[in-house]
Amino acid sequence: MFWAEHFQRFVRFRFLYQLIDSKLNKRIQLILNMQAVIPNQPSHGVTWVLVVSNIDLTTNLPTMEPETFLQSTIKDAVINISHDYRYMKIGYYVSMHAEILGDTVIPSSKSIIEANRTPILLLKASKAGIPILPYLVTSSVKQIMSELTFPLVSFAVNPFSYDGYRIATNRSSLYRAVKSLSMNYKFAVCAQPLKGEMVSVKSIFGKCEAPEAVKRVSEKVYEVFKIPLCKLHVQNVGSEILLCGLQPLKKEEVLPEDLRTISEKISELSKTGGMPIG
Amino acid sequence: MANIACFVEGYNFTDQREEKALQNFKRTAEQMGHNFDFMYRENISDIPKYDAVFIRATTDPLFTSYIVSKTADELGLKVIDDPESIQICGNKIHQYALFKKHAIPHIPTIFVNKTDIHRRCLMGIFRELGKPVVIKAPYTSFSRYVEKAACETSFREVAKRFFRKSDILAVQAFMPTAYDWRVGVLDGKVLYVCKYMIPKGRWKHGAKLRGKPTFIWGRTVSMKRENAPATLKELALKACNVIGHGLYGVDVKEANGKYVVVEVNDNPSIYAGYEDLRDKDLYGKIIEYLTD
Repeated sequence: MFWAEHFQRFVRFRFLYQLIDSKLNKRIQLILNMQAVIPNQPSHGVTWVLVVSNIDLTTNLPTMEPETFLQSTIKDAVINISHDYRYMKIGYYVSMHAEILGDTVIPSSKSIIEANRTPILLLKASKAGIPILPYLVTSSVKQIMSELTFPLVSFAVNPFSYDGYRIATNRSSLYRAVKSLSMNYKFAVCAQPLKGEMVSVKSIFGKCEAPEAVKRVSEKVYEVFKIPLCKLHVQNVGSEILLCGLQPLKKEEVLPEDLRTISEKISELSKTGGMPIG
Repeated sequence: MANIACFVEGYNFTDQREEKALQNFKRTAEQMGHNFDFMYRENISDIPKYDAVFIRATTDPLFTSYIVSKTADELGLKVIDDPESIQICGNKIHQYALFKKHAIPHIPTIFVNKTDIHRRCLMGIFRELGKPVVIKAPYTSFSRYVEKAACETSFREVAKRFFRKSDILAVQAFMPTAYDWRVGVLDGKVLYVCKYMIPKGRWKHGAKLRGKPTFIWGRTVSMKRENAPATLKELALKACNVIGHGLYGVDVKEANGKYVVVEVNDNPSIYAGYEDLRDKDLYGKIIEYLTD
């Protein structure tokens, strides 16, 4: 009886291992197929790109799961599509892996870090001619009050918060905002004066559903950082649009119509004879 | 005369040995005819007033120190540690991937992501690396976020904690040694060499006492850089070469007469009477590099 039970268990496990084995073989076959369908040299004016995405896209181009790509050694141009490009998340590692393989990749791992750190985003944006407001990186409320005037908008500059901003209209609300964003004054915050109205837009390859002036800023930000999917925070100050911050999108924020836009843009990039790597 | 800003945080002055080393940097710079100011988080906007920035606060792409480094770099200032070095040394996955690419001898390493945490994969890891294995979070520093796992349960428990911040972890073979070599490198040249002894009954240089918040550290045994083994220095320089030309502390293990790189750290610890004991000129060399 005892041996019969053990034999049954053995047969069951053996079946399970075979099943896993066949799945692994399929995964390896997929990688080999990918290498076969993605030629290194462009033919007939079409540059092949490999799309690595954690979002289910509707594109005819070869698409690969991030986890599969991380196991591969494919040498090609890579478009890394992810709703979340935060540092140390899978979207970041895909770009890093592509760079180590020597591939050209959108976005670069450096851009991912820079775009997600508000002071660096603003510094690089201003160097590229994107209008911004003066900003202050500190964890001291007194310093913010002495150098900037109310109302203020503050962004977190800590390893844990990536989303949103806090508006402070007076001393006590600034204390609350800085205490929360700096994680009890342990990290710095990036404070900027609030001169107009805060507007947040979803940017897909630099395109967004917004007035013309916002669109121009969104396109310029994409030109500089090449982040395919992100949310931009801008200030509408009369006729001028000023960049304030950038944050990753939540998965549910990527709508079906966005997937079409992403697919179209990817096809466009592959047909125009290459990727505009910055 | 150059204006040097040394970016520090309050904790840099809590250890007397580190405070003394910082004062040594200041005195050396002033003796060389330069101005040396300590810059805190509140004075970041003063960066453009300086010619060079020396970062002593802990570096990580997510910390304020990276913003200081990047700002200085964008403004064309000479900076230790430069943003590229922080990016590579601050993420051990990036570093080991570069070591693999450039065939730098290092501790056998496997990368795991969340989908790999299943019985078959874990058994495969134990088969390949032996038991126990060392699980390392990419953001490890000062011996923290490096833990041993000898069974599937402890592997899962450690991995679960480390996966909160990073989607990929490094798993390495366990190589117990009495000490780790630390080779200080600046601009492709060896600056100092010492041995970081492992405390008795522990397996890393810095270890937490069970049930207590205090950390205990092993002794630091310094030696003149000329007296260190040539193959050790060669390996350290080779490892730094794939990262950059800044200031690094290379940890190397010696097993069966062979050297393997454990990791390359940017922003290496420099404590008065420890790393500088046999090569006092390291302060001058760093200041010279910053003002060159």
